[in-house]
Amino acid sequence: MKLLTCPMNGPRNIDEFQSFGPVRARPDPNATADREWSRHLFRAENRRGVVVEWWRHVPSNYFFLAERDLVSNEIIRTFDASEPRDRA
Amino acid sequence: MAAGIATRIYPFMPGGAADGTRLVSGAVVLSDLTDTPRFGLKGGGSAAWLAAQGIPLPPVNRIGEHRGMRVLRLGNEDILLLAEDAGETLAQIKTAWQVAAAPKGFSSWREEGWAWMRLSGPRLAEAMSALCALDLRPRKFGADDIAQTRVGHIEAVAFRSPAGFDILFDITASAYFARTVAAVATPIDQHNA
Repeated sequence: MKLLTCPMNGPRNIDEFQSFGPVRARPDPNATADREWSRHLFRAENRRGVVVEWWRHVPSNYFFLAERDLVSNEIIRTFDASEPRDRA
Repeated sequence: MAAGIATRIYPFMPGGAADGTRLVSGAVVLSDLTDTPRFGLKGGGSAAWLAAQGIPLPPVNRIGEHRGMRVLRLGNEDILLLAEDAGETLAQIKTAWQVAAAPKGFSSWREEGWAWMRLSGPRLAEAMSALCALDLRPRKFGADDIAQTRVGHIEAVAFRSPAGFDILFDITASAYFARTVAAVATPIDQHNA
Protein backbone atom coordinates (compact mmCIF):
# COMPACT_ATOMS: atom_id res chain seq x y z
CA MET A 1 0.00 0.00 0.00
CA LYS A 2 1.36 3.42 -0.94
CA LEU A 3 0.96 5.97 1.83
CA LEU A 4 0.57 9.73 1.76
CA THR A 5 0.60 11.75 4.96
CA CYS A 6 -2.32 14.15 5.17
CA PRO A 7 -1.42 17.15 7.36
CA MET A 8 -4.84 16.93 9.03
CA ASN A 9 -5.56 13.19 9.13
CA GLY A 10 -2.15 11.56 9.22
CA PRO A 11 -0.77 8.72 7.04
CA ARG A 12 -3.39 7.21 4.76
CA ASN A 13 -3.67 4.92 1.76
CA ILE A 14 -2.97 6.93 -1.41
CA ASP A 15 -6.37 5.66 -2.56
CA GLU A 16 -7.99 8.21 -0.22
CA PHE A 17 -6.46 11.14 -2.10
CA GLN A 18 -7.10 13.03 -5.28
CA SER A 19 -4.42 15.03 -7.08
CA PHE A 20 -5.19 18.52 -8.32
CA GLY A 21 -1.95 19.20 -10.17
CA PRO A 22 0.91 21.63 -9.61
CA VAL A 23 0.57 25.02 -8.01
CA ARG A 24 0.97 27.46 -10.90
CA ALA A 25 1.55 31.15 -11.21
CA ARG A 26 -1.60 33.02 -12.18
CA PRO A 27 -0.67 35.64 -14.75
CA ASP A 28 -3.04 38.56 -15.25
CA PRO A 29 -4.66 37.94 -18.68
CA ASN A 30 -4.89 41.69 -19.33
CA ALA A 31 -1.22 42.28 -18.66
CA THR A 32 0.21 39.17 -20.35
CA ALA A 33 1.31 38.92 -23.96
CA ASP A 34 -0.72 36.50 -26.11
CA ARG A 35 2.24 34.17 -26.47
CA GLU A 36 2.75 33.82 -22.73
CA TRP A 37 -0.98 33.53 -22.08
CA SER A 38 -1.29 30.79 -24.68
CA ARG A 39 1.62 28.99 -23.11
CA HIS A 40 -0.02 29.30 -19.69
CA LEU A 41 -3.28 27.84 -20.98
CA PHE A 42 -2.10 25.05 -23.23
CA ARG A 43 1.37 23.90 -22.22
CA ALA A 44 2.24 21.70 -19.29
CA GLU A 45 5.65 21.69 -17.71
CA ASN A 46 7.67 18.53 -18.10
CA ARG A 47 10.86 18.97 -16.18
CA ARG A 48 12.94 17.23 -13.56
CA GLY A 49 13.03 18.52 -10.02
CA VAL A 50 10.58 19.12 -7.23
CA VAL A 51 7.03 20.26 -7.77
CA VAL A 52 4.50 21.65 -5.28
CA GLU A 53 1.08 20.14 -5.92
CA TRP A 54 -2.45 20.49 -4.64
CA TRP A 55 -3.91 17.32 -3.14
CA ARG A 56 -7.26 16.61 -1.54
CA HIS A 57 -8.01 14.09 1.20
CA VAL A 58 -11.38 12.95 -0.12
CA PRO A 59 -13.16 11.65 3.04
CA SER A 60 -12.51 14.91 4.91
CA ASN A 61 -12.56 17.18 1.81
CA TYR A 62 -9.32 18.76 2.98
CA PHE A 63 -7.04 20.45 0.43
CA PHE A 64 -3.34 20.67 1.14
CA LEU A 65 0.04 20.96 -0.60
CA ALA A 66 2.70 18.34 -1.24
CA GLU A 67 6.26 18.64 -2.47
CA ARG A 68 7.03 15.76 -4.80
CA ASP A 69 10.21 14.73 -6.58
CA LEU A 70 9.30 14.36 -10.25
CA VAL A 71 12.05 11.82 -10.92
CA SER A 72 11.79 9.49 -7.94
CA ASN A 73 8.06 10.17 -7.27
CA GLU A 74 8.97 10.56 -3.61
CA ILE A 75 6.72 12.85 -1.54
CA ILE A 76 9.17 15.11 0.28
CA ARG A 77 6.64 16.75 2.58
CA THR A 78 2.98 17.65 2.87
CA PHE A 79 1.71 20.79 4.54
CA ASP A 80 -1.29 23.03 5.04
CA ALA A 81 -1.80 25.69 2.38
CA SER A 82 -1.44 28.42 5.02
CA GLU A 83 2.17 27.42 5.67
CA PRO A 84 5.01 29.13 3.77
CA ARG A 85 6.23 27.42 0.63
CA ASP A 86 9.85 27.14 -0.45
CA ARG A 87 8.91 26.67 -4.08
CA ALA A 88 6.19 27.84 -6.49
CA MET B 1 -31.50 -5.02 19.97
CA ALA B 2 -31.66 -1.79 21.96
CA ALA B 3 -34.91 0.16 21.95
CA GLY B 4 -35.07 2.86 19.32
CA ILE B 5 -32.51 1.26 17.03
CA ALA B 6 -33.90 0.44 13.64
CA THR B 7 -33.67 -3.03 12.26
CA ARG B 8 -34.32 -1.87 8.71
CA ILE B 9 -32.16 0.56 6.83
CA TYR B 10 -33.07 4.13 6.09
CA PRO B 11 -34.41 5.71 4.00
CA PHE B 12 -37.48 3.46 3.82
CA MET B 13 -38.54 3.32 0.21
CA PRO B 14 -40.64 0.39 -0.97
CA GLY B 15 -39.07 -1.00 -4.12
CA GLY B 16 -35.98 1.17 -3.68
CA ALA B 17 -32.39 -0.02 -3.82
CA ALA B 18 -32.36 -0.61 -0.06
CA ASP B 19 -35.65 -2.54 0.00
CA GLY B 20 -35.11 -5.99 1.45
CA THR B 21 -31.56 -5.28 2.62
CA ARG B 22 -30.98 -6.85 6.00
CA LEU B 23 -28.83 -5.62 8.85
CA VAL B 24 -26.59 -8.40 10.11
CA SER B 25 -26.84 -9.55 13.69
CA GLY B 26 -24.73 -12.28 15.18
CA ALA B 27 -21.05 -12.09 16.05
CA VAL B 28 -21.16 -8.72 14.29
CA VAL B 29 -24.22 -6.50 14.69
CA LEU B 30 -25.13 -3.60 12.43
CA SER B 31 -27.78 -1.12 13.56
CA ASP B 32 -29.14 1.92 11.79
CA LEU B 33 -29.38 5.15 13.76
CA THR B 34 -30.11 7.32 10.75
CA ASP B 35 -33.35 8.67 12.25
CA THR B 36 -31.49 9.85 15.36
CA PRO B 37 -31.24 13.66 15.72
CA ARG B 38 -28.08 15.38 14.57
CA PHE B 39 -27.15 18.76 13.21
CA GLY B 40 -24.10 19.84 11.25
CA LEU B 41 -22.73 23.29 10.54
CA LYS B 42 -20.09 24.09 7.98
CA GLY B 43 -18.41 27.15 6.52
CA GLY B 44 -17.18 30.48 7.85
CA GLY B 45 -18.70 31.45 11.18
CA SER B 46 -19.77 27.92 12.22
CA ALA B 47 -17.20 27.50 14.98
CA ALA B 48 -17.63 31.03 16.31
CA TRP B 49 -21.42 30.71 16.39
CA LEU B 50 -21.36 27.37 18.23
CA ALA B 51 -18.74 28.65 20.68
CA ALA B 52 -20.95 31.68 21.35
CA GLN B 53 -23.71 29.26 22.39
CA GLY B 54 -21.40 27.93 25.06
CA ILE B 55 -20.57 24.73 23.20
CA PRO B 56 -16.94 23.78 23.87
CA LEU B 57 -15.28 22.82 20.59
CA PRO B 58 -12.65 20.08 20.55
CA PRO B 59 -9.62 20.13 18.18
CA VAL B 60 -10.05 18.83 14.63
CA ASN B 61 -10.70 15.07 14.47
CA ARG B 62 -11.65 14.91 18.16
CA ILE B 63 -14.97 14.50 19.94
CA GLY B 64 -16.24 16.75 22.72
CA GLU B 65 -19.34 16.69 24.86
CA HIS B 66 -22.01 19.27 25.61
CA ARG B 67 -25.19 18.61 27.61
CA GLY B 68 -25.45 14.97 26.53
CA MET B 69 -24.55 15.65 22.88
CA ARG B 70 -21.40 14.49 21.19
CA VAL B 71 -19.60 17.33 19.39
CA LEU B 72 -17.57 16.11 16.41
CA ARG B 73 -15.01 18.50 14.96
CA LEU B 74 -14.55 17.33 11.37
CA GLY B 75 -12.66 20.44 10.26
CA ASN B 76 -11.93 23.95 11.49
CA GLU B 77 -15.35 25.08 10.28
CA ASP B 78 -17.09 21.72 9.98
CA ILE B 79 -18.81 20.60 13.17
CA LEU B 80 -21.41 17.94 13.79
CA LEU B 81 -23.64 17.56 16.85
CA LEU B 82 -24.97 14.08 17.59
CA ALA B 83 -27.90 13.93 19.98
CA GLU B 84 -28.64 10.31 20.63
CA ASP B 85 -30.05 11.04 24.08
CA ALA B 86 -30.32 14.82 23.93
CA GLY B 87 -32.89 15.52 21.24
CA GLU B 88 -34.40 18.45 23.12
CA THR B 89 -31.08 20.21 23.62
CA LEU B 90 -30.30 19.78 19.95
CA ALA B 91 -33.72 21.09 18.94
CA GLN B 92 -33.09 24.24 21.02
CA ILE B 93 -29.76 24.80 19.29
CA LYS B 94 -31.29 24.28 15.85
CA THR B 95 -34.06 26.75 16.60
CA ALA B 96 -31.54 29.31 17.88
CA TRP B 97 -29.45 28.81 14.75
CA GLN B 98 -32.41 29.25 12.42
CA VAL B 99 -33.34 32.63 13.88
CA ALA B 100 -29.74 33.84 14.35
CA ALA B 101 -28.22 36.43 12.06
CA ALA B 102 -25.22 35.60 9.83
CA PRO B 103 -22.35 34.82 10.07
CA LYS B 104 -23.38 31.47 11.50
CA GLY B 105 -22.12 29.01 8.88
CA PHE B 106 -24.60 26.97 6.89
CA SER B 107 -26.39 23.72 7.57
CA SER B 108 -24.38 20.83 6.18
CA TRP B 109 -27.61 18.83 6.11
CA ARG B 110 -26.08 15.83 7.83
CA GLU B 111 -29.47 14.66 9.12
CA GLU B 112 -30.56 14.14 5.51
CA GLY B 113 -27.33 13.51 3.64
CA TRP B 114 -25.60 11.07 5.91
CA ALA B 115 -26.51 7.62 7.13
CA TRP B 116 -25.49 6.83 10.72
CA MET B 117 -24.82 3.17 11.45
CA ARG B 118 -23.43 1.38 14.46
CA LEU B 119 -21.26 -1.71 14.40
CA SER B 120 -21.06 -3.81 17.53
CA GLY B 121 -20.89 -7.44 18.58
CA PRO B 122 -18.31 -9.80 20.09
CA ARG B 123 -16.28 -10.09 16.85
CA LEU B 124 -16.37 -6.39 16.05
CA ALA B 125 -12.58 -5.93 15.97
CA GLU B 126 -12.20 -8.57 13.26
CA ALA B 127 -14.95 -7.02 11.18
CA MET B 128 -13.46 -3.52 11.50
CA SER B 129 -10.03 -4.75 10.49
CA ALA B 130 -11.56 -6.16 7.31
CA LEU B 131 -13.60 -3.01 6.62
CA CYS B 132 -11.06 -0.29 7.37
CA ALA B 133 -7.32 -0.02 6.69
CA LEU B 134 -6.61 2.16 9.73
CA ASP B 135 -5.32 0.82 13.02
CA LEU B 136 -8.39 1.27 15.22
CA ARG B 137 -7.17 -0.67 18.24
CA PRO B 138 -7.85 1.11 21.54
CA ARG B 139 -4.23 2.07 22.19
CA LYS B 140 -4.06 3.80 18.79
CA PHE B 141 -7.61 5.08 18.47
CA GLY B 142 -9.23 6.45 21.60
CA ALA B 143 -12.81 7.18 22.62
CA ASP B 144 -12.55 10.82 21.51
CA ASP B 145 -10.78 10.19 18.19
CA ILE B 146 -12.37 10.58 14.78
CA ALA B 147 -11.16 8.81 11.63
CA GLN B 148 -12.18 10.38 8.35
CA THR B 149 -11.26 7.57 6.04
CA ARG B 150 -12.71 4.72 4.00
CA VAL B 151 -14.83 2.04 5.63
CA GLY B 152 -16.07 -0.74 3.37
CA HIS B 153 -14.49 1.12 0.41
CA ILE B 154 -16.63 4.25 0.85
CA GLU B 155 -15.78 7.60 2.37
CA ALA B 156 -16.85 7.58 5.99
CA VAL B 157 -16.40 9.13 9.40
CA ALA B 158 -15.68 6.48 12.04
CA PHE B 159 -15.46 6.87 15.82
CA ARG B 160 -16.05 4.86 18.94
CA SER B 161 -19.34 4.57 20.78
CA PRO B 162 -19.85 2.67 24.04
CA ALA B 163 -21.28 -0.26 22.06
CA GLY B 164 -18.68 -0.36 19.30
CA PHE B 165 -18.07 1.90 16.31
CA ASP B 166 -20.32 4.52 14.79
CA ILE B 167 -19.98 5.13 11.06
CA LEU B 168 -21.32 8.12 9.15
CA PHE B 169 -21.40 8.06 5.37
CA ASP B 170 -23.36 9.17 2.30
CA ILE B 171 -26.92 7.97 2.79
CA THR B 172 -27.20 6.84 -0.83
CA ALA B 173 -24.70 4.08 0.00
CA SER B 174 -26.61 2.66 2.98
CA ALA B 175 -27.77 -0.53 1.22
CA TYR B 176 -24.29 -1.04 -0.20
CA PHE B 177 -22.77 -0.57 3.24
CA ALA B 178 -25.18 -3.04 4.87
CA ARG B 179 -24.33 -5.63 2.21
CA THR B 180 -20.59 -5.00 2.58
CA VAL B 181 -20.79 -5.49 6.35
CA ALA B 182 -22.84 -8.66 5.81
CA ALA B 183 -20.21 -9.98 3.39
CA VAL B 184 -17.49 -9.40 5.98
CA ALA B 185 -19.54 -10.69 8.93
CA THR B 186 -20.82 -13.91 7.37
CA PRO B 187 -17.45 -15.76 7.28
CA ILE B 188 -16.69 -14.47 10.79
CA ASP B 189 -20.03 -15.83 11.97
CA GLN B 190 -19.46 -19.18 10.28
CA HIS B 191 -15.99 -19.47 11.75
CA ASN B 192 -17.51 -18.68 15.13
CA ALA B 193 -20.20 -21.38 14.84
